[in-house]
Amino acid sequence: MPSDERSEKQAAAQQAVDILHEISTILNCHLDRRTLSICISMIENGVNPEALATAVKELRNEAQEVQFEAAGAGASTTRRR
Amino acid sequence: MAYLLQLGALTDELVAAVAAIPDTQGQRLDRCRESTLRSLRHHSFLRTNQFDVDDHLSGYEEHFRVLGRDGLADAFRKSLDALKPHHNRFTPDVLHFILELADQPVQKTSLTD
Repeated sequence: MPSDERSEKQAAAQQAVDILHEISTILNCHLDRRTLSICISMIENGVNPEALATAVKELRNEAQEVQFEAAGAGASTTRRR
Repeated sequence: MAYLLQLGALTDELVAAVAAIPDTQGQRLDRCRESTLRSLRHHSFLRTNQFDVDDHLSGYEEHFRVLGRDGLADAFRKSLDALKPHHNRFTPDVLHFILELADQPVQKTSLTD
């Protein structure tokens, strides 16, 4: 049946993502399952893996800046009180 | 065109998942999305060499063993073997991506993770 076939394929794909997530955890990549799934989809769409890794690093820097600014804004609000 | 739409949608998801920029900073979010999309489309990186990827993976396993982290080396080998039945033409690329983001696993990874 086609639906059975589809669900089997989905299960196999999920299993592959689980294994890749295990490998990324052992290599300490700081990737959660959702981010890894998005990245796998991007690679399957032809994105270069090295360019993607560079983009992820840049996004992490951006996330740090956002957190830093939020912490700074929180501290200045507390000081004003 | 469809490719660009799909890449744009995936880039949006990636930016939301990694950068977590609040919706209140719309301009910053747009700038981040644009620069990410640009860097994914225009780059000078070479294609993945699957033999290099295999060498790097074996190198990590060996490094774990040399430093007496046999448990970690065994878990790593077990995962790599488990991946074999799921191998497809994108697997070396995904592993290359993971290797690029590896962060001193020999020193920092704990088996409890």
